[in-house]
Amino acid sequence: MTTQNKTITQKTSKQTVLQAHNVRKSFGARGNVQQVLKGIDLRVAEGEFVGIMGASGAGKTTLLNVLATIDRATEGTILIDGADISKMKDAELSAFRRNQLGFIFQDYNLLDTLTVKENILLPVSLGKMKKQAAEAQFQSIAKILDIEALADKYPHEISGGQKQRTSAARALINQPSLVFADEPTGALDSKSASSLLGTMADVNKQQGVTIMMVTHDPLASSYCSRVVFLKDGNVYSELYKGDKTRQAFFQEILNVQAVLGGDSVDAL
Amino acid sequence: MCRLCSGVTALTLFDLVKRSMRKNIKHYYLYFFALILSVVLYFVFATLQHDTAVAEQGTGTMGTAFQVAGILLIVIAGIFIVYANAIFLKRRSREIGLYQLIGLTKRAVARLLILENMLLGIMALIVGIAVGMLVSRVFLLLLMKLIGYEAFIEVSFSTAAVTQTFFVFLAIFVLTTIQMVFTVYRNSLLSLFNSEKQGQHPRKPKTAVSAILALLGIGLIAFGYWLSGRMLNAMIFFNMLAVLATVILGTYLIFRVTISWLLYRIRRSKNGHLGLENSLSLAPLMHRMKSNANSLTIITVLSAMTLTMTAAAYSMYYSTERETQAIMPFDFMFENEAGLADDISEELDVNGISYQREAVETFVVPAEFEEKPAPFLERATDIALLSSERLQQAGIEVDTPKNGEASFHDVSVATLFNSVTLPFDLTLQDEERTILSITEIAQQNVLNWSFFTSQIVVNEETYQSLKEQLAVESGETALQQMDGFHIAEQDMAAASAIYQQDKYKTSDLHVDYYSSYEDAVQSNGLLIFIAGFLGLVFLISTGSILYFKQMTEAEQEKQSYATLRQLGFTVKDIMRGIVRKQAFVFGLPLAIGLAHSIFAIQAASFLFRTDILFPASVAMGVYALIYLVFAVLAVGYYKKTVKAAL
Repeated sequence: MTTQNKTITQKTSKQTVLQAHNVRKSFGARGNVQQVLKGIDLRVAEGEFVGIMGASGAGKTTLLNVLATIDRATEGTILIDGADISKMKDAELSAFRRNQLGFIFQDYNLLDTLTVKENILLPVSLGKMKKQAAEAQFQSIAKILDIEALADKYPHEISGGQKQRTSAARALINQPSLVFADEPTGALDSKSASSLLGTMADVNKQQGVTIMMVTHDPLASSYCSRVVFLKDGNVYSELYKGDKTRQAFFQEILNVQAVLGGDSVDAL
Repeated sequence: MCRLCSGVTALTLFDLVKRSMRKNIKHYYLYFFALILSVVLYFVFATLQHDTAVAEQGTGTMGTAFQVAGILLIVIAGIFIVYANAIFLKRRSREIGLYQLIGLTKRAVARLLILENMLLGIMALIVGIAVGMLVSRVFLLLLMKLIGYEAFIEVSFSTAAVTQTFFVFLAIFVLTTIQMVFTVYRNSLLSLFNSEKQGQHPRKPKTAVSAILALLGIGLIAFGYWLSGRMLNAMIFFNMLAVLATVILGTYLIFRVTISWLLYRIRRSKNGHLGLENSLSLAPLMHRMKSNANSLTIITVLSAMTLTMTAAAYSMYYSTERETQAIMPFDFMFENEAGLADDISEELDVNGISYQREAVETFVVPAEFEEKPAPFLERATDIALLSSERLQQAGIEVDTPKNGEASFHDVSVATLFNSVTLPFDLTLQDEERTILSITEIAQQNVLNWSFFTSQIVVNEETYQSLKEQLAVESGETALQQMDGFHIAEQDMAAASAIYQQDKYKTSDLHVDYYSSYEDAVQSNGLLIFIAGFLGLVFLISTGSILYFKQMTEAEQEKQSYATLRQLGFTVKDIMRGIVRKQAFVFGLPLAIGLAHSIFAIQAASFLFRTDILFPASVAMGVYALIYLVFAVLAVGYYKKTVKAAL
């Protein structure tokens, strides 16, 4: 066991954005219950870029769905910005997602019938944001993500990387407390992927946007400031990037992953 | 070996058919429903057509009407089923692709589909005919009630109807089979897997051309409407064709260009700030406008046709009594046949029939109209002068004109005078060339005339002075003695039978109010039944086609709803946009169809002497209500889809 990588030097000055305590999630009916999350504790501070890693079936996506209020936890409490989402009604959750959270999906999930700009402005369409404010917000985000020139194009006219940038812009338009990204590079070629991740890391650093990203790709998670490893529904370990270079951090992630996936090798 | 292998395939193929049908009930029910519905409606129609009671009632026209309606019914049922099958095949294209992916040959897949289609067809025929037998009695009762036939009726099982239905649907089955074989052979695997995602992307319209075509669409319809109000001249046939052509072409342009053009302009003005409701209505509408233009045009034109047909038929049926009364204010009348009038009075007395006999005097004189809205008025024409006071005594509702003024009564030409400004002069062709001023065009006769003469009502004073003068000039021949009879309501049938005896017949046109009314009820009742039945079939087909289309769209857009809900929009928020889209998809064809039919009815209103606003509104209202049921169903389906999306 060489996984004593837990760092205890957390910066307590930063505000807590997400606080999950003993989160459990089971699927299936009585007699055939499968527990996917087995009591997860997690704290995300403002300005963090957290990666969630783990093998298939470790519970990554379930955790993301539960934290992102798309699915409900069977047990445990989840506080986002101090609000207890496990006690909210469905309509409140919807409003909460719309106002506080941003989403980036593996398949972009852009609406085919809307242009890039219309897609990006969708989350603010029901809010109270004034048109000028929304326009200004759009301009600045489009500039950061380098998609200004695509505003009037339809999704079928642009590349995968551009789609994912559009999706990212949509996630950022309402200045969310927390952005959830589910395998954002899963459908991209390596060049587009690293370009997108670089932009996400920039946005995280410069704009102070808190991001939680689920991925199985060690290269992707090397852009994070912290990586949480899940195994069989539990937090297995955590890695902080600290002041390390991305290459060094990448190597560390690979090491943990080797151990994580090494069980079967041990068993041989 | 080949024999063996084909035998094995057939067996497993049949298993596959059974299994896939059991598992895919959801996909099948739509097509199956369309099949059964068409069978039921056609079978009911065929049963009525072959029913002895109907055949006994009907004369030649009835048979022809049924035949024409039957052909229309087959065409509509065929289009409807082929359309439902197309949607059905599109939904299953992934499955069809999968069969080929796992190694079935195209031939085998085609056979599988044909086998399925055959099973579905046979089941639909059995179920449809069974249901048809149950409901045909209701329809027969309705028909008999409409044409005023009151007797006990028994619906007999009609083998002819079954055979006819069988052959019609066999032909339709052949059509759908060809369609299925086409789908399997003409599509590549890739296109089969992607067909659910198909849909055009809106292009930026070429502004100048689009703008011209968009305005041309509106212009053509406006011109058609304008012309429809001015058709009544020598070129009436050409005018009707022109109206039809401009309105249909205009409708097509509206759907194909105008709407896309308008939506594009609205969208551009939003500059990306579309909002959720527009994102769910305007954007997907623009996306599909190109492929929907044809079907929306057909649905609109069909709706307009159906609305016009049912509204006109119902108006005729509704106003039968008033129309007949307008032509025949007396139950029957004798012209210069006082002897016969005495005879019939006696016979009515003997039979205990209460009646009122009214002698009305009139004299006939040629006159020239200042206004000549019809060709026969170019020359001086005979008119009959009557006294209003005498008519009032005889129980005819008529106003008393002032001295020197007159009202014009001739229902056969009254509508021609609609565009004429009152008053206008009527110059009698007497020596003094007396001028009467026509101040009213009445929608009602004051005498039952067996021949064509306009009736001019003046007051007693004017009448007497003219009579004295004219009696000197033209002698007794101009003076006519009319004997009109009013019969009490309950004795009308008996009195009519007495009047219709040969001994009272003085001319070929031997008509009385009661028998004319009965005849009119019978033919108008048949007309409204057939129009209503066809209308119902059109309505159900067009409504279902729109509903099926919306079902497919809802499924295609499922991912968008999932995304939107994830982004934090509630089902309620999303439904607001969807309801807006449905209002457009269902509302626009209905609104344009209604507008078309209103102008069509207005153009045809010269056929009616009575006000048809009420019956036409009722028919249109009922149509719109049933049509809206489909919109509500579509919204319900969307709601289910949106709820299940996350």
